[in-house]
Amino acid sequence: MSNWERLVWNQRGLLWQGLTVTVEICLLAFALAIVGGLVLCLVRLHVRPLRPVAVALIEFFRATPIFVQLMWVNYVWPELFGWPNSFFTSGWVALGLQSSGYLAETFRAGIEAVPRGHREAGYSVGMSSFQVYRRIVLPETLLTVAPSIVNQFTVIVKSSTLVSVITVPDLMLQAMKLVNVWYEPIEVLTATAIIYIALVFLVSSAGKALADFHRRRFGLDSA
Amino acid sequence: MSDALIDALNPALFWEYRLVLLRGLAFNAYVFFAAAAVALLIGLAAALLRVNRARPFRWVGTLHVEVFRNAPDYIMIVWVHFVLPLLLGKLIGQRVEFSPFVSAVIALGFVYSGYFAETFRAGIQSIPQGHLDAARACGMGETTILVRIILPQVVRRMLPEAVNQFVSLFKATTIVSLIAVPDLMYQVSMVTQQEMRPLPLYTWAALTYFVVIYLVAGSLRRLSEHWRQKIYA
Repeated sequence: MSNWERLVWNQRGLLWQGLTVTVEICLLAFALAIVGGLVLCLVRLHVRPLRPVAVALIEFFRATPIFVQLMWVNYVWPELFGWPNSFFTSGWVALGLQSSGYLAETFRAGIEAVPRGHREAGYSVGMSSFQVYRRIVLPETLLTVAPSIVNQFTVIVKSSTLVSVITVPDLMLQAMKLVNVWYEPIEVLTATAIIYIALVFLVSSAGKALADFHRRRFGLDSA
Repeated sequence: MSDALIDALNPALFWEYRLVLLRGLAFNAYVFFAAAAVALLIGLAAALLRVNRARPFRWVGTLHVEVFRNAPDYIMIVWVHFVLPLLLGKLIGQRVEFSPFVSAVIALGFVYSGYFAETFRAGIQSIPQGHLDAARACGMGETTILVRIILPQVVRRMLPEAVNQFVSLFKATTIVSLIAVPDLMYQVSMVTQQEMRPLPLYTWAALTYFVVIYLVAGSLRRLSEHWRQKIYA
């Protein structure tokens, strides 16, 4: 048991530091994914001339593995666009882009599921199409797609382990550093795995509870 | 900037190493097929545990699903590669070592067994009680019922969902390069170290994966749809 104390408990400061970086990256990526997904989806649905571009981007983000995209953003983008200029930025941008592709499709399904009558009701009381979107379509969509959004967030947390490969000091990287210093992988890696599993479990349970709460509040069934 | 873009899109370097890279892609396929077999078998076992009548069995099944569905692929691969051999070695008092390929297959197989277990379970639970009663009334044993009544229906019902999971599994095989399985990404990073030109290499690696996954996923979806309709008809 002493290894647990020596390698995990006594190093909790490092691991905690890593965990905060993980959380930070996940939140930034999640924000980018929501904004990017919404933009891609709206462009796809409403901006005719840019539609092929949006479709191509969505398909590209969805059909390339996250690790490949991470390497691509990290090595190719800085020379191509002069940005991102840090590993940390590459990390969350790649994670966010991948998820924005998935969320764009989720949003599209949600928007198309809003009954026509709701929109027409909005127009008939004199709302502009922007108002109809802001006050009717988007709130309804957010409610129906809430579980998928939560699910996507857990995917981001799981994929965030990969940013350690480009030396972003997240929980995974701190754990691997400890392994490389002490050559005692059992306790450190087991503890890290448990922390990640607990984190993802926590996120998905909390997200589900929140989504259920909102759906019940607005009178949708919680199924 | 346009110089960089032209460099990134120039396929010459990627084409020069096509044999090595193709061998890498083949490794992706090997890992995929082996891990998919493991995932399907263990997933089915876990699903059967989860629908078992005895409560302890159900707990084990649920624990399995919750652990593996919530575990990131990367940490599981690293854990299986570095920790599991040590633990097994302590257990049998001998030095155990996994080749990177074996670790990758075990780790990805177990992680995806969690997802497949849920898909199987949904399929199993959607089978009407009447079918089971009818089978029992004909005098079928539990195994016969599983093989002839439950599984054929489950397979058809879970196909669309399973196709999605196969696609995710294939994407996950790219990270096995991190424990030095010589897959496409591994070869790309090796060539990059030699040529020092990441731009075209990583761009074309991404494009290659995109084309492969896009085509394979599309045709799998069409095939499974066709097959479902043909059998249901």
